[in-house]
Amino acid sequence: MFQYIYTKGIPFFALVFLTFSCFNDLDTIPIDEDIVTAGTVYNDPAAYKAVLAKLYAGLALTGQEGPSGQADISGIDEGFGQYTRGYFHIQELTTEEAIVGWNDQTIKDFHNQSWASGDGFVFAFYSRVFYQVALCNEYIRETADEKLDNRGVDEALRNEVRGFRAEARFLRALSYWHALDVFRNVPFVTEADKVGAFFPEQIQAADLFDYIESELLDIENKIASVRTNEYARADQGAVWMLLAKLYLNAKQYTGTEKYAESLTYCQKIIDAGYILEPEYRKLFLADNDHNDEIIFPIAFDGVNTRTWGGMTFLIRAAIGGEMNPTDSGVSGGWGGIRTTRQLVEKFPTDLGGLVIAPNEGQTGQYPKIYVPGEYQGWDASNTETSLSSVNSDQIYEGYKYFPTDNSKFIFTKFPTFSLSYGDNNADGTLEINGDTIVTDAAGIYYLKVDFNDNTYVMERQEWSIIGTATAGDDLAMSWDEEAGAMAVTANLSAGLIKFRANNDWTINLGDNDGDAILTQDGADIIIEKPSTYRILLFLDKPDYTYQVNNTSFDSRAMFFTAGQNLDIEDVTLFTDGYAVQKFRNVTSDGAPGSDTDFPDTDFPMFRLADVYLMASEAIVREGGNMEQAVEYFNEVRRRAYNGGGGDITVAELDLDLLIDERARELYWESHRRTDLVRFGKFSDTDYLWAWKGGVKEGAAVGSYRDIFPIPSADISANPNLKQNDGY
Amino acid sequence: MVIFMLSTPLIAFSQRTITGVVQDADTGETLIGVNILIKNTELGTITDFDGVYSIDVPKESTTLVFSYVGYSDQEYILDASDVVNIKMSSGEVLEEVVVIGYGIIKREDATGSLQSVSAKDFNRGFITGPQQLLAGKIAGVSINTEGGPGSGSKIRIRGESSIGASNDPLIIIDGVPMDNTDISGSRNPLNLVNPNDIESMTVLKDASASAIYGNRASGGVILITTKKGKLGDATRINYNGSISSGSLIKKIDVLGADEYRAVLKEQFEEGHPALGLTGEADTDWQDEIYNSAFGQDHNLSASGGIGRLPYRVSLGYSDKDGLLKTDNFNRLTASINLTPSFLDNRLQVKFHGKVMRIQNDFANRDAIGAAMGFDPTQSVFDPNSVYGGYTTWIIANNGNPNTLAPSNPVALLDLKDDRSSVNRYLTNASVDYRFAFLPELRANLNLAYDLTNAEGNVSIPTTAAFSFDDLNGGGVNNVYTQKKENTLLEFYLNYKKELGKNVIDLMGGYSWQHFKLGNTFKDSDVAGTPSETREGADPAEYYLLSLFGRLNYSFDDTYLFTFTLRRDGTSRFSPESRWGVFPAAALAVKLINNDNHYLNNLKVRAGWGITGQQDIDDYYAYLARYQTSFNNARYQFGNTFYNTIRPNGYDASIKWEETTTYNLGLDFSIIKNRLSATLDVYQRDTRDLLNNIPVPAGTNLSNFITTNVGDMVNKGFEVSLNATPVLKEKMSWNFAVNFAYNKAEITKLLATDDPTYQGVLTGGIAGGVGSNIQIHSVGYAPSSFYVFEQLYDDDGNILEGEFADRNGDGVITEDDKYRFNAPNADYIIGLTSSFNYDNFTFSFAGRANLGNYVYNNIQTDQGYYDRLYGTTNVLWNINQSAIDNNVQNNTNLTFSDHFVQAASFFKLDHITVAYDLSKVLGHGVNVFATVQNPVIITQYEGLDPEIGNGIDNNIYPRARTFLFGVNANFTATKKKK
Repeated sequence: MFQYIYTKGIPFFALVFLTFSCFNDLDTIPIDEDIVTAGTVYNDPAAYKAVLAKLYAGLALTGQEGPSGQADISGIDEGFGQYTRGYFHIQELTTEEAIVGWNDQTIKDFHNQSWASGDGFVFAFYSRVFYQVALCNEYIRETADEKLDNRGVDEALRNEVRGFRAEARFLRALSYWHALDVFRNVPFVTEADKVGAFFPEQIQAADLFDYIESELLDIENKIASVRTNEYARADQGAVWMLLAKLYLNAKQYTGTEKYAESLTYCQKIIDAGYILEPEYRKLFLADNDHNDEIIFPIAFDGVNTRTWGGMTFLIRAAIGGEMNPTDSGVSGGWGGIRTTRQLVEKFPTDLGGLVIAPNEGQTGQYPKIYVPGEYQGWDASNTETSLSSVNSDQIYEGYKYFPTDNSKFIFTKFPTFSLSYGDNNADGTLEINGDTIVTDAAGIYYLKVDFNDNTYVMERQEWSIIGTATAGDDLAMSWDEEAGAMAVTANLSAGLIKFRANNDWTINLGDNDGDAILTQDGADIIIEKPSTYRILLFLDKPDYTYQVNNTSFDSRAMFFTAGQNLDIEDVTLFTDGYAVQKFRNVTSDGAPGSDTDFPDTDFPMFRLADVYLMASEAIVREGGNMEQAVEYFNEVRRRAYNGGGGDITVAELDLDLLIDERARELYWESHRRTDLVRFGKFSDTDYLWAWKGGVKEGAAVGSYRDIFPIPSADISANPNLKQNDGY
Repeated sequence: MVIFMLSTPLIAFSQRTITGVVQDADTGETLIGVNILIKNTELGTITDFDGVYSIDVPKESTTLVFSYVGYSDQEYILDASDVVNIKMSSGEVLEEVVVIGYGIIKREDATGSLQSVSAKDFNRGFITGPQQLLAGKIAGVSINTEGGPGSGSKIRIRGESSIGASNDPLIIIDGVPMDNTDISGSRNPLNLVNPNDIESMTVLKDASASAIYGNRASGGVILITTKKGKLGDATRINYNGSISSGSLIKKIDVLGADEYRAVLKEQFEEGHPALGLTGEADTDWQDEIYNSAFGQDHNLSASGGIGRLPYRVSLGYSDKDGLLKTDNFNRLTASINLTPSFLDNRLQVKFHGKVMRIQNDFANRDAIGAAMGFDPTQSVFDPNSVYGGYTTWIIANNGNPNTLAPSNPVALLDLKDDRSSVNRYLTNASVDYRFAFLPELRANLNLAYDLTNAEGNVSIPTTAAFSFDDLNGGGVNNVYTQKKENTLLEFYLNYKKELGKNVIDLMGGYSWQHFKLGNTFKDSDVAGTPSETREGADPAEYYLLSLFGRLNYSFDDTYLFTFTLRRDGTSRFSPESRWGVFPAAALAVKLINNDNHYLNNLKVRAGWGITGQQDIDDYYAYLARYQTSFNNARYQFGNTFYNTIRPNGYDASIKWEETTTYNLGLDFSIIKNRLSATLDVYQRDTRDLLNNIPVPAGTNLSNFITTNVGDMVNKGFEVSLNATPVLKEKMSWNFAVNFAYNKAEITKLLATDDPTYQGVLTGGIAGGVGSNIQIHSVGYAPSSFYVFEQLYDDDGNILEGEFADRNGDGVITEDDKYRFNAPNADYIIGLTSSFNYDNFTFSFAGRANLGNYVYNNIQTDQGYYDRLYGTTNVLWNINQSAIDNNVQNNTNLTFSDHFVQAASFFKLDHITVAYDLSKVLGHGVNVFATVQNPVIITQYEGLDPEIGNGIDNNIYPRARTFLFGVNANFTATKKKK
């Protein structure tokens, strides 16, 4: 039997196996024209720049489709895995500057300072960092001289590619710095390692510091000179900035202070011609790619650079509650991140300059009649243009502003024309369906209707403020259409004011209870400190009220407070904690960005104001020219206060002021965790903030949390790695 | 052709006379001229014009053999009764003969674990996909069909042996291995085959049977054979049609309007803004989105033989609505099978042509979730709404739709028009030639071409709030197409020789398959705004090449041995690793072989084999590639936006995943084959799992890569039992039960050995973007639930937010999660029975799953009070479980093991009553009524315990369907003898 198989079977099988040999079909290459193989990609000279663009895009985008699809990294929702979003999680959510109440996986652990090595978000950011490193390594390998020789690259392109290569090395150094700062001892991979299955060695922090430093010093003069590269590409300025940051934090990384070196590079930047953007708010708007302050941005665009992370996250996650998304140039908010009391309290109490806020009082509850007329488009249904009866006695009063001379109006009992009163013969008595009433000159008119005897009073008045704060002068008020109030802007000295009509005390309003409700002959209003103020007087309906704004205030406090509680009882509620309206997708003149889902706003990763504060800090720490340190500090303050209103003196400048000033200037720009660690105020310290450590009042956590754990996924994947202490 | 056998009375020592009628098993038609032979003698007779026979049988003879052209031979072991009525089954493939890879084999000679089901045993009801015909019929085969009309099924044979690659079985239709990937715009790629055209389905479960399909057989193999005409048959016309109506069985328990208002009052203080948001209406949103699902199904076929050309042609038409309003499935199928023979049957040609045209209207399934969340006090329509007149949550200060609010469920349905049309053509021709000079040798060539053209479009008007975009115009206008071209060439030689008691059957062949896929899409808003328009095409292809051989050797019809060897190449892997060798061997011994009155057959089997897996998403996984970005993913340098080019991650050394199966089996039948059973015990070891795992950071161009890492094992046993307790002339009863146990465990997941490695999270859920509830971990079943252990008070109520500190470190962190049960059932049971009395037939089929668990994502995502009022001035409805469990906060629910709930169930799939009108009408006319899905018994609180991935989140409900139908056969002329 087996003999039979042997003699007949084997040849038979052999015949069949040998007959067919068209096995070349298995050597397929992609037929999708968007995909090329590694061997042929650089046949197109334009690919050098296009692959470089991917290295930068790795900081902004999550994949090749935008906003999602063909993701770069996986194991996480694509939007969560975006670079600057992950960096925000690490640098901001862990601090007093930001808190989020979403139910997404372990995201609340950041603010609770209770993250574990298995955390998906931490792994996502770590993956992003090393994805950048791997991308840069691949590019650096592929742009080596011998590779260019083999491809016969001409000299012009070769020169360009040398610059590209320096930028790739900068981007790798940037990500390695993030790795050093966040994770410390990390796996180390360079262009000398090929793509494939191997276990990288773990590098010690001091060695990684040296490597980053040596890379940056080596490319300092190979990369484009300061302020000469195309927008959004790194140049010498970005290299200096990264060196300055590396040196400023050197003690944390190596145990050795390098403040003098940090100051050196800060001063190089300061001398290079960057200029503080005169208006702070413009740094964070859709057209922030047009200013001279930003040293290195991450660029986003509503049409061309779309992601669910990045600025889309930073703007939309910060919108909720009563906020109008349109004000921020987006179609809707995600009701996520807010801030704690501890950030808000770093600013002067007059947030947005608001010294006295208006108080509507009981106005909403008084019986009303309505005043349709030319001035409001004859809209009988407009219930805002009404008069109120404070005592429910059929006597209604209030003020209306008529913008034109001889303006016509009538009174109606309901917000329709069904029961309207006019005045036949202009005699001060009202008739049902009577003739329209006509004013005299344009201006603010006091109106009073008495339906007990169907009479009315109409009297044009001039309003002003007066008191010791005005040196006894009547400062005339004029109509502010947008505010719907009489208004005046004036330099006041510390003292008292009152409102009065017609430069006479017959009609005068003061505030008895300090509650912004005005009453005839009420008490004087106190102006505590000299400054320029804008004062608004709301006379439309009783109860009359007013608002006092200091125009010289810290303009960096961009909080949204309406409907928001300053204290956070329930972390999951967006309305607990003030909202932050710093980043917006509108241009500096108010126009929306190019898309309402995805902002145009760029992320200012490095900017000049940070350099001034770093330089100031380096001087304070190193000891040196304190006048110079104060001058740097006040550069930042003068922009914030739109003048010298916030200037400090040498005596005032210390580290406590510096760390708080960094919060005021740089909040939500992903510097905070690094700053707090450098100042010893992050983990195991008596500096507490709401919900730090998962406790409402805040609680200190172990100092090992100054750095993050190596994600357990990589500990498992790479036996060469040792976990950070404490995790 | 026809052999005449004279009824020749022989020497009349003690003998008896057996009489009876022979009928067609399908149609009930009496058969004329059937040969009846007393086994091991030359004595015989034939049936007369009424199908009646009479034969004198010697006392010592025990068995009658019935044979008839075009029908399977049937043996009958005589008992005390003198009346033997036989129903003969047409077709070449029935109990006796089963289709295996590249050939057929007598059932009793099979050495591997395989089981087949023929048309008469298929499930009944409104069935559009062939998979459903098999549900509950075969031990160890789980078939989970989704709720929508024309939906596909998830088929699992002996559990899941892969993590990162496909677990779907290979499906082979009339010899053509199908591409089992989804088709754009189609709910089920197998809708190509009209269930009415199917003659039989065979499932190859163990590797010794399936290894001949080595490269794609790890998930098992299902062979589908369609009906064919028979040589010499009269033309037979069959009409089979039905109408049906399906209805919702159960609704999700959300609050009604009054209850809702009461809960709001209880939850919020007077003056809270939430209280001012309610409306005046009383809307049951589930009533608004679901309706009765009507369906109709018509099938017409003609078969027979024209001269030497057997043929069968068929036309089928199905139209079925979904329970969800606006959902519709419409299919037209046509098939033609020609099976002529030439050269004295030495040349056999088979031609199969199948055409399908499907038109789908896809309902917007987002409506299901929205109906759970929309405030029941709001009416459907709002006369002031600018969004198509549908009540819409808007942002007060700009009037735009609130993107954080639920969408109006009815608007979701009405305003999204999502339709597709799919045309698929499958033709294959095989030529089988038996050499004249060497009749033991035959050559077979099989060519197939499978072409699919799909196109679809999705349109949503600008007025739809859920597609609002005030800047770009909004709305949706998406168009997509897909073209798939799969080509097959297979050739094999088969040599079969008997040498005394030795039978040798050698087969060797070559297979070449090419799969080509071309997708195009153009996504746009209605205004066609350039920045909102994306276009793309992503063609791809791959090849599979194989060489295969098989030796079957049997000795004395008692010892059976099979050895197969297959060498497979795939273009997915590099030249160094693309070839895999997949051997298999099996031995069977027939201990008892058709020769005893009570223990009729007994066969033991042992098999071993290796199968391969390469079916991962990436067609070029080993290749270093660079990929250009879309226009929405460019980066700005200066004032120019550059399309970027990205190097993709890859694994140059990716190779085959291999599954080794060991199988021990036992087949026996007793009591005149009235009770037969099959037992199997198996173990499946998968190694080099194709698995998407984290790479050491920095070593590759992504953080995860699909590579060969990990091992897992499946162990189980299966029992199938077929019994015919009653078999009388006017009454018969049979039932079949099958029972399967399977346990899966991951045994290795990493390239390194790290005992602290927690595993890979999987199983995305609602309630937190990117949250996963399941994990693949070493030592546990795949997709085990990964949760916190809930603490309860003394009355057994949930202590909200309190979990067991399992690691005892004093705080509750991620490290306190544990692995708690898994979605796949431990035990799967199938049950089928049919009872026949005279013209009545009553049948049912049912299934049970035991030990399966479901994560009730509806309760965790919708069952907490905080959901009632978002901070964006929006109301949400909540699940009743919020009240039952008294839970406030979502965060406290999501990962609680309380919501991993036991979901064992018993389901009756159908109950059918049929009445045979043949005697009344003279033709084979059968009328029947079926209730599909009549009974579900389960302790699970959700809508339906049968959830494939174990995560219950807004599933499409399965209907309870009432169906009435008729099956009529007309024979053009009486058969000539």
